[in-house]
Parts: sequence; structure tokens; C-alpha cells
Amino acid sequence: MIRIRGLTFYYSDAVQPALRDIDLDIAGGEFVLITGPSGGGKTSLCRCLNGLIPHFYGGRISGEVEVDDIKVLERPTKEMATRVGMVFQDPENQLVAMDVEREIAFGLENLAFPRPIIARRLEESLDTLGIAHLRHRQVHELSGGEKQKVAIASVLALHPDVLVLDEPTSELDPHSAEEVLSVIQRLNDELGLTVVLLEHRLDRVVHLIDRMIVMDGGRIVADGDPRRVLDDETVADIGVGAPPIARLVQRLKQRGNSIAAIPLTVKEGRSMLNDAFRQARCGEANPKTPAKATDGAPIIKVEHLWHAYPQGPSTLKGVDLEIRRGEFVSVMGRNASGKTTLVKHLNGLLKPTKGKVTVGEDDTRKATVAQLSRRVGMVFQNPNDHIFADTVEDEIAFILKNLGFGRGEIADRVDQMLEIFGLGEYRKRYPRLLSGGQRQRVALASVLVARPEVLILDEPTRGMEYRLKSELMGFIERYRGEGNTVVLVTHDVEIVAEYADRVVLLSEGRVVIDGNKHDALSQALLFSPQINRLVQAFARDGVPGNILTVDEALEALG
Amino acid sequence: MISFRYRERRTPIHRLNPLCKLLWCASILVLALILDHPLFLLLLFLSTLPLVFAAGVIKEWASFIRLTLYLCIAIIIINALLSYSGAHVLYQAPFRVPVLGIPTITLEAVVFGVAMCLRLLSIISAFAIITLTVHPDDIMLAMIKLKLPYKSVLVTSLSTRFMPTLVDDAERITDVQRSRGLELNRGSLFKRMKNRIHIIMPLLSNSLDRTVQVAEAMESRAFGSGSNRTYYRDIKLNTIDVISLVLAFSPLAFGIFVSVSGYAAYRYYPALGALNLGIDTWSAMAVLTLLSASLVPLAFLKRRLELD
Repeated sequence: MIRIRGLTFYYSDAVQPALRDIDLDIAGGEFVLITGPSGGGKTSLCRCLNGLIPHFYGGRISGEVEVDDIKVLERPTKEMATRVGMVFQDPENQLVAMDVEREIAFGLENLAFPRPIIARRLEESLDTLGIAHLRHRQVHELSGGEKQKVAIASVLALHPDVLVLDEPTSELDPHSAEEVLSVIQRLNDELGLTVVLLEHRLDRVVHLIDRMIVMDGGRIVADGDPRRVLDDETVADIGVGAPPIARLVQRLKQRGNSIAAIPLTVKEGRSMLNDAFRQARCGEANPKTPAKATDGAPIIKVEHLWHAYPQGPSTLKGVDLEIRRGEFVSVMGRNASGKTTLVKHLNGLLKPTKGKVTVGEDDTRKATVAQLSRRVGMVFQNPNDHIFADTVEDEIAFILKNLGFGRGEIADRVDQMLEIFGLGEYRKRYPRLLSGGQRQRVALASVLVARPEVLILDEPTRGMEYRLKSELMGFIERYRGEGNTVVLVTHDVEIVAEYADRVVLLSEGRVVIDGNKHDALSQALLFSPQINRLVQAFARDGVPGNILTVDEALEALG
Repeated sequence: MISFRYRERRTPIHRLNPLCKLLWCASILVLALILDHPLFLLLLFLSTLPLVFAAGVIKEWASFIRLTLYLCIAIIIINALLSYSGAHVLYQAPFRVPVLGIPTITLEAVVFGVAMCLRLLSIISAFAIITLTVHPDDIMLAMIKLKLPYKSVLVTSLSTRFMPTLVDDAERITDVQRSRGLELNRGSLFKRMKNRIHIIMPLLSNSLDRTVQVAEAMESRAFGSGSNRTYYRDIKLNTIDVISLVLAFSPLAFGIFVSVSGYAAYRYYPALGALNLGIDTWSAMAVLTLLSASLVPLAFLKRRLELD
């Protein structure tokens, strides 16, 4: 179906090639996952499959790319539309019409299909994706997951032979991501569609795929059955975020346990690790002691907080919360459960409709956001929203200038930040041209330079690859190690299991769970981290039921 | 916040053929420009009101008009201050301004300003009705029907499509920068304007990134494959639509006749002309108003007929 030989590609102004000498064959009906660190060439490879490279992006290219025996490099992208369907990362940026029906018809209209055929394909696509109920909806009213399904439907209407999806779930919450992935799996299973999927969150897809390809530095460094690839040590070194279960087994193997293969699902893991856990004899089930009891003084107090947006229903309904100095609190909950609304109260971006929020001794109703920004820093999901200055230096100094710091003090603090975040050599560079990870560091530095006592992060790791995630969390750990407080809004249970102390779960504007992460995250169904779902089966054998991470599991196994 | 956007509704006005509403809007626009008489302009404005009520978009329409009124006040003040040509002086300043001379406010200048505002209000009102009652994609289709080039039409429609996205972006970026100590509502006017840069810059950069991605997605869906594109939706014209097209055009035809015959002529400077309200003028005004409001009963009629 797809045949690539000796493909090398340079973007027009690049010295380093984005793709080096790629050879790849993909058979019809395969479900192929491509993963690897960002900047490794995954997206570039995808763009070659429908000719966006070189026709849209220019650059220098050599080698051959064939899809269905058509030489892609010689045909314009628009001719490839009926062969290769492309779905992109940000659902917002690939929908061009106002309503769903017109969106799906767009490609067919471009190819001048007659109206009766458009009507038929429209029905087909709506039914295949199960989104017939959305057909008259306006595109901008849809949720992220719904938009992504519409994007897939609109590509599917062209009857492509290959579906290429470039991180389709990275902008979505876990629930929508799951839905989109299961739709993709169905397309592969039931329609025999060839699927090439780029994805970081391996634990969600690795059991669905036939083949896993790892790219790094423009090359394919591993290719084959996912069990084999995950077992490969070079792959782990690159920083591919193997699912926690696979990491656990890798570590056990390093310790000399003989385990036949890498498990891909909790089910497989339970049967493969049965012996290991049974033999471990953890003794009496001693629930782990809570990590670090926090007895610091309260720094943020939320008292009976209600909030309603103008002309809207209440989004927060009587939240009571006390955050102590030095705590790492993770705020979780479904979409629209009020998480973001709640944390925006902590730095005064929103004011209580009813109730009271105090930071230190300041009532947020009486203080401005700028005044509070000395104590409470806030980092948002997309670093691009932070960045506007001409140099990294100016970007970091911005908050200090706003707060009226003196020139010497500003220079000192900026230097210190550049040092901590390893940005020294980029200080005079234009921040938007830095890589994703570097921009995230700039955004974090530009907030931490004010030395706030509380740092709030709103989904900072969404869509981030494993290596960058651990890097970011490393910086946050370090900041917290200095006695500061962290409030993290996230959907990512694995991150919470690894780093947080306390979990606050919101639902419909109310706090439904508030407690130690070991109590909050264990013994739940899908909401628990993978390792916890694994060990729940061994509770009768004396394995503590509140183990959350790979390290804790290894410790329990002795 | 009241939205300035189209919302799906089922009123007869919303269901009226988009071509016909566009033609009606064009008629109002041209009439507002060729008629001079202040009473005619007032009636022109008033004749757009029945459509607003029938479409049930009063609140949204009012917010358009409210914004326009601010502009109107500015127009009246500036015109009164800068135009000295009138004969009836209402106020004369006791000092001289270099270049401009002695500031003088005359009755003529004020009345002229008011008439200009009525013009503006009629035009805005007609456009507001289009924005609020025609689906943006239908505007696009209608423009293609009128043989405008597809690519330009698409650009227009894309900008409407991305309006909400842009608003969301702006809100998000504002939150980010306020959290970084940026104070938007403090300091001198100049400082406030300067502070907005920190919001506008990321907004622009984000939008530029977005354009590339949108272009890429469109290319991947065969955009620009050839000139003979088809359209899934179509604007069909039935008998009633043809009648409404004629009716939508009729105020313009009649208005041109009125204008050429001089009924709607009016002199503002140097001294206000007499209003000249003869029976002919009255009837001309009545006919014009009836014609421009005639879409409303027709829309109801259309609904009756199509439901049967």
C-alpha cells in the first residue's frame, strides 16, 4: 500500500535533515503506530504520505514515496486526497465550514462530485462515525472530541485507502481521546482501512495496533511488533513513554525476573505477573503511609465559593478548600466540572459570586490580579499564549517590569532563571522559534521569576510527549522543594500518581473527593492509574491495594 | 454578552431566501446614499424595524445600534465643530483657534450631522439584519450565485468561521497576561493602548500559525482541484422567492424614481431648506416605506404556503 525508499528531506531553511534515508513498507489494512520524541521526524513523514511535503512545504527532497503505486512526489496533494486522508492535531484548525454537513461535504465539493453522491457519502460518513445527531450543529459549538470526529468523517467521505492521523487526541481530554481512538480502531477492524497513527500516549493505543515504529533524529530506530519494540532498551533510552505496566516489567526483567513478554493491557499484566506478586509475600496488607504529611500553615483558603458566569448557571457550587504551604495539590475532574474556574479564583482572575477566597492574608475580592501575581503564579496549557516578546530575556523580565522591580534586580533574577532552565544560550533568541519544550520552559521561567509562593498549572502536560513531561515535572519538583506550593489541574492520572500528595476531585462544581492521593486514586475503576488497576487483583495475596506507581510496585515486590 | 453572530432560528424572516435578503439590504444601502431628505432617511431607518421584530432578534440588533449611536454622537459633534457653513449661528466661541478660525456651531451643521447619522443607522440596521438572519454559509452561496469568485467568497466565510475561535484566543491570552501582572485598565490612555500590544502580539502570532494549519488541512481535502467545484447545498428559487426578489428590489427602483424626480432632494447649506411637505412627497414617502417593509408580510405568506 505504502512504499518509501531512501527518503531524505530538508525543510527549506534547515541545515539538518528532518528525515534521513527512510525505507518503509506498509501493507494494506495494517494499523501502524508511529511514536518517538518531538522533532524526530514523525510529522514530516506523515506529510510526505499525501505530498504536503514537498508541494506545500517546499524544501529539498530525495527518494521515492509511493501510495497505491502512485508516485506521491510527482502529484499535487489535492490529487492524493482520495487516497490518503489526513487528520491533524488541533481539531479547531482543520474545520472550515460553519456546520457539520457542509464540513463533510467540503472535500467532495472540491472534487466536483455531483450532489446525489455527496448526499450519499455524507450519510455514510455520519453513520460510520456515529455522529448523525450532530449534522445540523454549528462547528464552533462542538466539543473537542466531537470536532475531531467531524474531521475524521470529513476525510472519510473521500473514501481514502489510508487514514493518517497526526496526534489526533493530544488536544482532547482522556474520555474524548478514548472515544476517538475507539472510532479509529473500528475503522481499521471493520472497514479494513490502513491506519497510520501518531500518538504519545502509548497506554491507550498499544494494544490496538499491529505494528509500532519509533522515530528519532529523522530515522526509524525501531519497527515491529509492539511487544518487541517496547522490550528494546534503545527505545526506552530515547524516552518513549512506554505504558507503566510495560515499564514495570522492563524493570523486573532488569532485576532478573523471568517474564516471557511485555504485557500491553492490565489483563495481560495480571496473568503474566501472577507468579511474581504471589511469591512476593508482601506480608499483611499494610496500607502505605501517606507521602509526606503536610503540616504547613494554610496559604490559600476557599470558603463556600460559588461562581456563575454572567447569564449562565453556577459553575462552582459551594467549594470549601484549604491549601497548605508546601503541598502539591492536584485538581481533577471531568470537562466542565469547574476545575479551571476554581483555579482562576486563586489568583483573582475570577472573583467569587458568593463566598470568599483568601491568599495569605489577602482577600482576592480586594486585591488586583497584578498584586496577587507576586504570590501566585499561573502557567497555562499553551506556551504560545504566554509568548510575545522579541527575546527570551524580555519575555522572562516582563512580569518584573509590570511589578515595578529595579533594573539590577531584574537582571539578576533573569540570569538566575536562564541558568536554572538551561536557556542561557537562547537569551537573545526570538522565543516563538524555539522548540516546544524550550517554549514551555520559557513560559514557566517567565512566571517563576517573580518567585511566587504558589504555582498554579492548568493542564501543562496535555499533548506532551513523555520526555518533556518528565523534564517539566522535574522543574516543578525543584520549585516545590524550596518550600513552595503547587496546584496542578490535570486529567493525567499517571502524573498525579507520580508527583502529587493530595487529590481534589470536582464534579459539577462541587468537591466530591478531597484526600491523600493513595486513597483517592486507588480502588477506582478506569480512574485509577494503570499500576493500581494491575495490583487490585492481588489484594487477596497481601499486596497493598493503594500502590500507584512503578516504583511503589517494585518496592512492594521486594 | 449578547452575541453578534448568526443563530439558527425558525422565524419566517430566517427562512426567507438569502438572495432576497441580500438584495433588500443592497437596496437599503443604495437608498441611504442617494436620498437626501432627512424625513426620507428617518423613514428608511424605521422601515427596517418590522424585519427586526419579525425575526425576533431585537436584543442583538439593539447592541449593533447601540455601538452605532456612539459613533453618531461623535459624527454630530465633529461635524458641528468643524463645519461653519451654516447661516444660523447657535454658538460662537469667544476665542480663535489657529487654522480653524473661531469655533462656531450652526443649526445647519447640526441638522446635517443628524441626517448623516440617520443614513448610517439605516445602513447598519440593514446589515445587522443580514448578519443575524442569514447563515454565513448561505451568504457565501448567494455571493457565488451572483458570480463572485469562489476564493474571495471563501476567505470571507473563513473569517466568520474563525471569529469565535479568535474571541476565545483573546480571552485566554488576556488571562495569561493579567496573571503576569499586566494591568489593562490602569494608567494613561496611551499606556493602556500600549499594554494591549501584549495581548495582540500573541493573538496575531497564534492566528498566523493557525492559517498555515488551516491551509494544510484544506489542501489535504482537495481544495483548489479545479474551477468546476460543485455545491452540496443550493439556493433554489420558487415562485414566491421570485416575487420576493422583485419586492426586495422595488424600494430601490422606486427610490431612484423619487430621487430623480426631486421629491427627496433637500438643501442643508447655507440655510436649511423648507421641508416641502406636499401631498406628492407624503405619498412618495409612504410608498417607499411600504415597499421596503413589504418583505415581512411576504415572509409570513411564504411560510403559510410552504407548510401547506
